[in-house]
Amino acid sequence: MTDTLKIISQLIADKLEVDVETIKPESNLTELGMDSLDTFDIIFSAEDTFNIKVPNDKVDIATVQDVANLADALISEQHPK
Amino acid sequence: MKRRVVITGLGIVSPLGNTPELFYDNLIAGKSGIRRMTSEFVEKLDTKIAAYADFNPQDHFTRHQYSALDRVSQFSLYAAQQAIADAKLDMENIDRTRTGVYLGTGMGGANSIEEGYVRLYRDGAERLKPFTVLMAMNNAACSQIGLEYKLSGPNLTFSTACSSSAVAIGEAMRQIRHGYTDVMLAGGSEALLTFGTIKAWEALRTLAKEDANDPGASCKPFAADRTGLVLGEGAAVLILEDYEYAKARGANIYAEISGYGTANDGVHITSPTPEGQAVAIRAALKDAELNPKDIGYINAHGTATTMNDISETAAIRQVFGEFANQTPVSSTKSMHGHLMGAAAAVEIVATTLALQHQILPPTINLHQPDEKCDLDYIPNVARKNVSVIHAMSNSFAFGGTGAVLILSKESH
Repeated sequence: MTDTLKIISQLIADKLEVDVETIKPESNLTELGMDSLDTFDIIFSAEDTFNIKVPNDKVDIATVQDVANLADALISEQHPK
Repeated sequence: MKRRVVITGLGIVSPLGNTPELFYDNLIAGKSGIRRMTSEFVEKLDTKIAAYADFNPQDHFTRHQYSALDRVSQFSLYAAQQAIADAKLDMENIDRTRTGVYLGTGMGGANSIEEGYVRLYRDGAERLKPFTVLMAMNNAACSQIGLEYKLSGPNLTFSTACSSSAVAIGEAMRQIRHGYTDVMLAGGSEALLTFGTIKAWEALRTLAKEDANDPGASCKPFAADRTGLVLGEGAAVLILEDYEYAKARGANIYAEISGYGTANDGVHITSPTPEGQAVAIRAALKDAELNPKDIGYINAHGTATTMNDISETAAIRQVFGEFANQTPVSSTKSMHGHLMGAAAAVEIVATTLALQHQILPPTINLHQPDEKCDLDYIPNVARKNVSVIHAMSNSFAFGGTGAVLILSKESH
C-alpha cells in the first residue's frame, strides 16, 4: 500500500469512525456509507493534507483507490520533483 | 370549533443543564449559568462572560454525524430527541404527514459562517468545506430534525431575533389548532458565541459588564445597577399535540397553550415601545379568552437593558392596570442569559415547569430595583406554594416583533 493510499484510508476511517483496517483500496465509497457530500469532504481533507488543488471536473471517483490515484496524480502534477 | 393544543414533551440544552429537570432545579435554586468564557479568543473581547452550554457533541453523535452539523443543529437534534422520549411518542408509527417541525433561530449556523470567513480571509484558503452552506443556512437546525425522524409535515424556520422561538411555538400551535397537523415539534436553537458575533454585539453596547465579585451575578434585570444583557446559547424543543390526540394515546400533559399574540412596534429597529408590546400582550389574552386578573405569573422578556426593562414594565402596567401589582413577574434570563432565538423556547420550558410544580422561578441579582421598574419581580428567591392556573411568557425582539404565549394548567 502506498503512503498516499494509507493516508487517504486513514482520513476516511477517521471520518467514519471505523478501524482503518476495514478500509480496503477496492472499497466503494458509497458502500462505506459516504454520500456525495462526504466524498467532497474527503477530497477537501486531501487537498489540505497534500497541499494540492483538485479541479472541479476531476471528482468522478468511486473507490478509495480512486481517491489515492487522483491525489498521486495531482501531487506529481502540482509538486513535480 | 378550535382544537385545544397541549404540551406533552420537553427537551433542552441550556447553560443551566441539559435536561428539563436539571434546568428547572437550578432555576428554582437561583443558580446562575453565566460564567467566564474559556474560548481561545476571549482575551480579544471586552466582554469575557457568557452563558454557555456544557455540551460535547462527541457524547451524542458520531464524528461522521457531528462534523456535518453546526453547533446550532447539534443542540436542536439533542433537544428534540429528549422531547420525543419525554412524550413517549411512537415515531415508527406516527402519521408523518401530520407531524411537523417549527423552530426559531436568530443567527443560524454562526459557527460555520465564522469558520468559513476565518479560512478564507485569515488563512488564505481558496475554497470552503463542502458542508458549509448546509451547516450555516438558517433552516438547517429545523430541517435536521425533520430528516432525523422522517417527518413530512410542515417544516419551517422563524427568524424574528429574540422572539423567534415564541413565534415558532405560537405558529406551531395554530397548525394543530386549525387542524393541519396533530403533532408539532416546536422550539428554538441558538449557538452564537463566536468571536465575530460577540464582537458585533459589543458594538451595540448592550452587553453587561462583568460583576467584579461574581461573574455569575452579572445579569441584573430590573435592578438599578443593571448594565445589560449576557449572551447565551442552547435550545429547547417541545412536543405539541392536539388535546384529543394526546388523551387518546394516554400522554402526560404538562400544560395547554391557550393563547398566542404577536405584533410589531413599527417604530424603531432596537427601541421597543410599551404601546407596541401591549398590542402583543392584549392579542394573547384575547386569543386565550382571558383577562389580566386571570394571569398568575409572567415570565418576562427581562433582558436587563434599560430599554427593555422599562418598556416591558410599562407595557405590563398598560395592559394589567390595577392587577399589575398583584401579578408576579420574573426574568429567568438573570440565570440562563439571553439565548436570542432560543430564549423564548427555554423560557416556555421554565414556565411550563413552574405551572406544573407551582413554584415560580426568581429574578436573581435584584437587590435594588430601578425606580421605573416597580412590579412584583420575585426578587432573588423562588416563590413556592403558589396557585397559578394561567401563566404568560413575553418575548420582545430587535426588529420590533413581540410574541406572547399563555400557558394554562390542563384542568382549568
